[in-house]
Amino acid sequence: MMKAPGISDPATAAGPYCPPGPLRAGWRRLTRNKLATAGVVTIALMVLLCFAGPLVLRLDASYIDVLNRFAPPLTGGHLLGTDELGRDVLARLMAGGRISLTIGFAAMLISVVIGTIVGMIAGYRRGFVGALLMRFVDAMLAFPTIFLILALAMLVKPGIVSTTILISATCWMEVARLVEGQYRSLRNTEYVAAARTAGASGLRIMVVELLPNAMGPIIIVATLNVARAILLESYVSYLGYGIQPPVASLGNMLNNAQIYLTSAPWLAIVPGVAIALTVTSVNFIGEGLRNILEPRSL
Amino acid sequence: MIHHKLSKRDFLKLSATAGTLLVAPAWAQPAPTPPAAPRGQVIAGISQEPTVFNPLMPGSEVDQGVWWQLFSTLWFIDAQGNTVADLAREVPSVANGGLSADGLTWKVKLKTNATWHDGKPFTARDVKYTLELINNPAFRARNRVGHALVRDITVVADDEIHWRMESSFTPYMSVLSQTFMVPEHLLATAADPNTAPYNQAPVGTGPFRWGARRAGDHIQLERNPAYHGQGPYLLRVIFKYIPDQTMLYTQFRSGQIDYLGLSGIQPSFEQEAAKLRGARIMPVPTPFIEHVALNLGFAPFADKSVREALYLGMNKEARIKAIYQGRPLPTESYVPKGHWAYNDALPAHRYDPQAARALLDAAGWVPGSDGIRVKNGQRLAFSNSTTAGAQAREQSQQLLMQDWRQIGVEMTIENMPAAVIWGNFWQKSQYQSVMVASNFLQGSDPDVTARFSSASIPAKGGSGLNTYQYQNPEMDQLLVQGTREFNLDERKRIYHRIQEIVRTDLVLLPVSQTVIIEAVKEKLVGYENNINSSSNCWNMRSWYWAS
Amino acid sequence: MTQYLLKRGGQSLVLLLLVSLIGFGILYLSPGGPLSQLAQSSNMAQEDIDRLTRSMGLDRPFLIQYGDWLLRMVRGDWGASYRDGVGVLATIGSHIGATLSLMAVSTVIAALLGGMIGIWGAVRRHSLMDALSSVGAMIALSIPTFWFGLMAIYLFSIKLGWLPAGNQQTFGDGSFLDLVHHMIAPVMVLALVETAVWARFMRSSMIETLEQDYIRTARAKGAGGRAIILSHALRNALLPMITLVGLQFPTLLGGALITETVFSWPGMGRLFFDSLEYRDYPVVMGILMLSAIMVMLGSLLADVLYAIADPRIRMD
Repeated sequence: MMKAPGISDPATAAGPYCPPGPLRAGWRRLTRNKLATAGVVTIALMVLLCFAGPLVLRLDASYIDVLNRFAPPLTGGHLLGTDELGRDVLARLMAGGRISLTIGFAAMLISVVIGTIVGMIAGYRRGFVGALLMRFVDAMLAFPTIFLILALAMLVKPGIVSTTILISATCWMEVARLVEGQYRSLRNTEYVAAARTAGASGLRIMVVELLPNAMGPIIIVATLNVARAILLESYVSYLGYGIQPPVASLGNMLNNAQIYLTSAPWLAIVPGVAIALTVTSVNFIGEGLRNILEPRSL
Repeated sequence: MIHHKLSKRDFLKLSATAGTLLVAPAWAQPAPTPPAAPRGQVIAGISQEPTVFNPLMPGSEVDQGVWWQLFSTLWFIDAQGNTVADLAREVPSVANGGLSADGLTWKVKLKTNATWHDGKPFTARDVKYTLELINNPAFRARNRVGHALVRDITVVADDEIHWRMESSFTPYMSVLSQTFMVPEHLLATAADPNTAPYNQAPVGTGPFRWGARRAGDHIQLERNPAYHGQGPYLLRVIFKYIPDQTMLYTQFRSGQIDYLGLSGIQPSFEQEAAKLRGARIMPVPTPFIEHVALNLGFAPFADKSVREALYLGMNKEARIKAIYQGRPLPTESYVPKGHWAYNDALPAHRYDPQAARALLDAAGWVPGSDGIRVKNGQRLAFSNSTTAGAQAREQSQQLLMQDWRQIGVEMTIENMPAAVIWGNFWQKSQYQSVMVASNFLQGSDPDVTARFSSASIPAKGGSGLNTYQYQNPEMDQLLVQGTREFNLDERKRIYHRIQEIVRTDLVLLPVSQTVIIEAVKEKLVGYENNINSSSNCWNMRSWYWAS
Repeated sequence: MTQYLLKRGGQSLVLLLLVSLIGFGILYLSPGGPLSQLAQSSNMAQEDIDRLTRSMGLDRPFLIQYGDWLLRMVRGDWGASYRDGVGVLATIGSHIGATLSLMAVSTVIAALLGGMIGIWGAVRRHSLMDALSSVGAMIALSIPTFWFGLMAIYLFSIKLGWLPAGNQQTFGDGSFLDLVHHMIAPVMVLALVETAVWARFMRSSMIETLEQDYIRTARAKGAGGRAIILSHALRNALLPMITLVGLQFPTLLGGALITETVFSWPGMGRLFFDSLEYRDYPVVMGILMLSAIMVMLGSLLADVLYAIADPRIRMD
């Protein structure tokens, strides 16, 4: 009698033990990591606060109230006080959080896509094109990140889109290197040889067959890139080359706050804590993912 | 009835009279006497680094501050508006024969006791060399306004020089009051004056000599014991560069800095600074006029009703009070108050959004569904730019944005770094509106040909600073008259009329005259504000420490 | 070894060429230029700007400007600053000392402090100390360093008055003590990230070493005491430490820029930032090239030292 898997198998018919699928298993392991869980909860709360908060709390981040400037926190109905133009700091924080989170995520997406494509081609194809691509990656990596961002910032008018592109332009190289290394080792496996004999095209192999195998490290790098992107946005905006007023971002709130450090320190403390909290949470999530996807002693 | 026409000599004596300070505190009067022997040093804190030490090349305000210590001019204009001879023995005029009746021939007599810091005597050859160097096409002079008209420079004697002007140009006296003399014997021998080592170790005839420079940190100047004028009473002057405003103020507060100039103290520190013991905080008017420049080539701005409505819809008082702590002086003119050419009879601004809305309605600008007015398919929406990082101005922009939204105008903010905004964006009139503070004077002369003449539009191939693209034949005529006229009353009338036109046509939207808050240690005497000079450090030779 | 070095040297030259091309390209394409700001403050008119642009050679096509720059570089002439005419090498030279001093002190502190924390955490794994230091390291890597600097200024300079609020020295006081006093806050900020990096690195390196067979064998054989085992393990865990010094150059340089900006420290990072603002192209290119060289040397150093120390590594 032929046993078709899982259908008329007496073992399974009697009430089986089905090990959970990879996604569920992964989720369980992640939540067992307390820090990563805390990270997920924090980020979820932040996203909720920044995107839904303004609707619920009905605060206007751009309303200028010149008579009510520099109100300290917990005065006059402003939970976190007001800034140099009398705008509510909590509202600005939520608006800034929206921008920073969006840029962080978008920059990560762009950098991961570009880095993966470049790494795939260089790692799989090798040869002249591959070598040239990787040399280009190396050259870009020879610039310290801040130097590169500031130099590239000269090319564009500062704004949301340009800042996102700037950050992506400095974050894709690590992804490319990682993916290139992955593809370089995967390319010589029997798996690939078999697929090639079966007549699969290079493109199909790269994308359909090999990509899922490389996904693990890519996901880790992607998560860490979100953290990196949010931090970089704060650096660039702080230095004056990122998000410009009147748009609020966590970074440019800090730029504006520096000269008021003596008179209104909460203007500097609040956005900084927000950035620290966000980036730490994302980093913990990334570490948690690394524990799952790359189990090694840590 | 005697019709008294001011003679040319009277004119030239008064020509650069720019009036007194608006605020003339008691301490500006002659104070305790200077010490017999020079003592002490002054550390001046500045927020930009001086990097140009050849006074004929393009430089910023901080560079000017250093030039005033190292170099001298033929004459300068003091705080009261008097032209005072420095390297010249006397200010040339028709009365003393220094100037011909038609103003075309100049005969300047020079002092014989002036020497360069290296000991060599200052002579007429140096003056000739300086003027010729400026006009030398290979030399990177910053501009040649006035100098380009000089012909036939003749060294008659070591202490006398003659030249001829191609056409009469009244502002030239004022231009020369800010033209520093450089030594022929050091620069003529250099292979290329643009890159000569002289430019890093300059030699002048000023009250202080070049001492040392630590790039990125400070510049030290030592007293010139052989100075031909009065003073200096200090042993040395140090310009300390601190890029961060907060740190600048903190160092003044802790006594490490004796004088805070250039941009002065941030308005937010003023209250605290006023309570400091041993320090003097003073509001100082500058010749800079804060305004909104409009590109008249942008369709909606060509409509005068729009400009008037924008001006009516602007809440000047809120901006001045809230963002600048009430310091700046609201103004209707591009000429600083107290200047002899200032027109105080210009129509006053009033904040009246209702009237603004009525004006726009009448002109056919109808509010659309989003509240922004539209006319013939053109939305009344434009961008406003300023230097990124200029905090107070950025705040003003946001206030303005809110004000103008009330009258149905959409203003978007597009700031960019200084190196970008002042490039082609400004020069070639690629902007729509810009918020900026400019000094419209030529030295202390009210000639504004470069700003408002229709031949001065760079975007249309002209040469000048008329980036507003303003064209008005009456204005052109008046501008030419102004530079040819010698009679002071007549000149006053001409420039009053010019200000009137600029105000009624609203070529630009004037906001206020910039007032900075300078801080000086109480015991430091001699400081005097001077809107006729390019730097408030113009008279450091007269500063000293009262015991 | 020599062959390897030659090969790496050749590769590095190609990389440097690429770096210079990218850098020069960025500068060439950026709008505005060194004359924009001067024009505004000197009330220069368009024809004055055009005249100066021609005189400075800024209107020539890209390849000619790049070729000219490259040929001069090869001859050792790095050009002169547009702002004060001083040679680029001299300008960088007068600023680099300040940066190197910050980098060196921070690295030493990070290596010592971070190293100790990491090793301690590895030895006492899963203890409270270990958990705290791991979390602490992660937080340290997640804080914007300039914000940390601002908070440090707020606490130590403004509120407590213990530390000066910036600059390298009090004017007129050239003493070493004064320099150290000014260095404390910037080093604290720069070393924050470095210490965290070293702590994490040392911890994982130590853990890996401790789990090696030969350590287990030594323990099984009853080799005396923790101290001896630690010293064995330590020696081998220190190996990767050497490579970290070289690999951290880019992070240190970037961190130095931020720190110097916050504390008005007259170093190379601050110079880069100012030069970008004024579009002082020769100085910008000079710093880019120099930092690229430093980064490449760092990674070469790391590879070579590691290969010398560990004969198992095959030089590729």
